[in-house]
Amino acid sequence: MAHDPPNTNYKINREKVDTEFVRNKLKLKSLEAKRSLFEKYPHVKKFLSEKGLDLGKIREHSARVITAGALAGTLLFAPPILAKNAPTVTNIVKNLADLGETNSDVPKQQTLLSSLQQILPQKVGPLERTQEKTLEQVFSQTTGVDAKATLEGEHLNTTYGYIGAEQHLARYPGDKVPDMAPGLGAWGYVPADEEKWYVVVQTLYLPDWEKRLPYLVNWYKYRKVLVVNTLNGNAVVGDIADSGPAAWTGKQFGGSPEVMDTLGGPRYKKGPVIIFFVDDPENKVPLGPVDYNKVEALGVKMIQA
Amino acid sequence: MSKLFFDHLIVFDEVEIIIKKTASSKEEKEELWSLVDEYVNHKVIEKILDRLPKENHEEFLELFHKCPHDEIVIFGYLNEKTGKNIEEELKNELEIISKDLLKEIKSFNN
Repeated sequence: MAHDPPNTNYKINREKVDTEFVRNKLKLKSLEAKRSLFEKYPHVKKFLSEKGLDLGKIREHSARVITAGALAGTLLFAPPILAKNAPTVTNIVKNLADLGETNSDVPKQQTLLSSLQQILPQKVGPLERTQEKTLEQVFSQTTGVDAKATLEGEHLNTTYGYIGAEQHLARYPGDKVPDMAPGLGAWGYVPADEEKWYVVVQTLYLPDWEKRLPYLVNWYKYRKVLVVNTLNGNAVVGDIADSGPAAWTGKQFGGSPEVMDTLGGPRYKKGPVIIFFVDDPENKVPLGPVDYNKVEALGVKMIQA
Repeated sequence: MSKLFFDHLIVFDEVEIIIKKTASSKEEKEELWSLVDEYVNHKVIEKILDRLPKENHEEFLELFHKCPHDEIVIFGYLNEKTGKNIEEELKNELEIISKDLLKEIKSFNN
C-alpha cells in the first residue's frame, strides 16, 4: 500500500501545524515566564496561593473587583459624577421629556450627543448603574430603541468601551468573501442577516461565564444590541455572534465591516461606543442602522486606527 | 470590563493578527489569547518587582489584589516607592516582550 510522503502530509496540515506551533511556543514562553518569576521571587507564589489567585486568570478577578465596585457605587454611596451633577441629570431628563412633547427643532442626534457629553465620564470605562439608567432614557427618547444595560439580570463587564473592526464570518461551508476570518463565529456558521450586523463582546471574561455556561451560551446567541458611537451619535442594532476581543488589545467590543461603516464610515477602525441589550421580546426591532436623524455628524473627529 | 492596570501599555497588534490568522475555532483563539495573557502578566510582575525595593513587594501585591485595574493608584504607588517613572519603563519592557514574542511565533515561517 502506498503511503503519502511525509512532505505531502506536512503541506496538507500546514494550517494545523501552524496553530500547534504557535500554541506550543506560547505555552513554552508562558511556562518560562512563570518559572522565572517564582524562582526569583518565591514569596509571590506564596502570596498568590494564599489569595487563591492565578496570574493566568487574573482578569476574572479584575472583572469581579470592577463589578463589585460598580454595584457598591450604586447601592452604598452617592455616585460621584451624578451626585455632583444632579441638576444636570434633571435637565437631561427634562430636555428629553420636552423632546417627546414638542416638535423640537433641535435634531435628535444633537440632543443625544449633548446628553452623552453630560453623562459620560472623561475616561472610557465601566459606568455606574445610575448613569446607565439615564442613558436608557436618552436612547429610548432619541433613537426610539428600547435598550437596557441590564436585561433579564444579564450585564456585560462594561457597557462603555472601545470597538474595533472585525472580519466577515463564514455563513455556510465554503463561504468565501474578501476579508474573512479563518475561523467560525462563537455559534458556528452565522445566518446571513446576523452576519452582516454582527457584534463581538467579551463573554469569555464574564465572571460567571464558566459557571453558568449552558444558560449564558444560549442567552447571548445572536442577542440584539444597540451600539452607539459616543463621538458622533451614529447608532446601529447588531447581534452578538462571536466572543472577544482579547483584553490585551485595549478593545472591549468588535463590529462587522457593516457595523463599523455605519458607526464611523469606511475608514473607521476603532472608537468609543456604548453597547446596551435591545429589549425586544417580540423580535420587532430590525438589525441595521438606526436612522433616527438624517443630520450629518457634528464635525467630530473620528478615531482612525 | 476585565482590565489590568498596564493594559494601556500593551501594543500587541501584530501578535493579535497572527493569532486571528492562525486559530481555526473560537476555542483555539481564546486559548491562544489566554496564553499570551498568562505570559505577559508573569513578565510584567517580574519586571515591576525587579525595580521595587523588597520591603515593598508584599504591599504592592496587596494593592494589585485589591485593585488590579487601577492604573492611577498602582502606578502612583510604584513611582513613589521607586522614584522612577515605572509606567514609562514598563512601556519599554513591553515593547521588548512584544518583539520577543513575535520573533518566537513567527519563526515557523522562517
